[in-house]
Amino acid sequence: MSTLLNSLTTELRRGTLTLAVLSQLKTPQYGYSLVQRLEKSGITIDQSTLYPLLRRLEKQELVTSSWDTSESRPRKYYSLSDYGGEIFTQLKEEWEKTSQELYILLKGEGEDGAD
Amino acid sequence: MELIELYIQEVTRRLPEKNRADIALELQSTIEDMLPEDYTEQDVKTVLLKLGDPVTLASGYRDRPMHLIGPRYYDVYISLLKMILPIAAVISLIALVGDNPFRDTGNTVMEAILKIIGKGISGIISTGIQVFFWLTLSFAILERLDTSKDQSPVTKDLKPWTPENLKDIPNISKKKAVPMIEVFASLLGLSVFAALYFNAANLLGVYEKRNGSLIFVTPSFNQDVLNSYWLLVSCVIIIGVLLAIYKLFLGRWTLKLAFFHAIYQLLYTLAFIIIISNPDLLNPEFLAYQRTLFSIDEWKSSIYWGLILISIIFAAYDTYQGFRKAKIR
Repeated sequence: MSTLLNSLTTELRRGTLTLAVLSQLKTPQYGYSLVQRLEKSGITIDQSTLYPLLRRLEKQELVTSSWDTSESRPRKYYSLSDYGGEIFTQLKEEWEKTSQELYILLKGEGEDGAD
Repeated sequence: MELIELYIQEVTRRLPEKNRADIALELQSTIEDMLPEDYTEQDVKTVLLKLGDPVTLASGYRDRPMHLIGPRYYDVYISLLKMILPIAAVISLIALVGDNPFRDTGNTVMEAILKIIGKGISGIISTGIQVFFWLTLSFAILERLDTSKDQSPVTKDLKPWTPENLKDIPNISKKKAVPMIEVFASLLGLSVFAALYFNAANLLGVYEKRNGSLIFVTPSFNQDVLNSYWLLVSCVIIIGVLLAIYKLFLGRWTLKLAFFHAIYQLLYTLAFIIIISNPDLLNPEFLAYQRTLFSIDEWKSSIYWGLILISIIFAAYDTYQGFRKAKIR
């Protein structure tokens, strides 16, 4: 039972990951700093999902990357591109709409149950 | 640490050459970020466990799918396979009909029949394997060449589904359907018949058991007489093959099919009657041999008329069945 719940939860969250990652890239982040920021907000992300996701976003030209070699170890920084910013705004609106609709839907379901 | 390098190598060796160095460097720095100062081997293991199976991580980086044929193409792949396999099997059987009459077919009737059936089955299997292999390969390549983001399944014409596709679905009731096995059986039967007919002098006749092995004593038929009808018999065989193909493509009985079927029945019954009416059909030696067993001459005409009657009854019944199935709605 709990494995089914787990897989359903993972599925539910998967779509929101892109949004979560894009939201944190207004300032340049490297892989691990991004993980920490997300975890601080309570979002746990599989690291084996995150790094490939960053690459895919880069390929889709939503984010740009650059190597910073000035510190003790080289780090690859990712940040939102202009195009990525536009997409992020639209995606955010889409998410707000969806969550509002779902909220109403779930609230209605709760009232029906009370009858 | 050696474990880290091994891990990175396990990931990158699964990736395209051009991305390897960059991803390796990023993984290296990420892993070091995750490790505390003065880490132990146990720390490394914990971190690597967090990153997970290198195969999964690598497949995340790769755009290529981790399956041979995905949901987008699976259904059309299966339906094409179902469509092409029987056709290929039939073609291999037709090749058998065309091929076997003039080949060495064994020493006895049973051997010849078994050999042809064996050839037929092995032909179907090897053609089937070929079809399966090439179709699967083509779809696996197609899957990898398809760069469109669209993941919805495609239909037989490789386009997305529309309600128009519903019109292509044949609605066949079980009673009207021509079973695939019937087509195979008639093709196999035709090839056995062709082989026996054109090699009758070597196969059909009197066998005697001597010293535990079967010896061919004398052929029943006069091969020269049989061969003189080659055009008629070839026509019957070719029309039989064509009819089987037509049945295969229709997949069900229609009035048109029943009509052609009736003509075919008529044709081969006529051919049968013409051939058995030839007074020189039977080998004189065979007749002489039979005379030693029983008085064949007084039975001759009743056997002749009996055979004609039986063949007409069978043909009529078959024809009736064809029309009956065609009329079912």
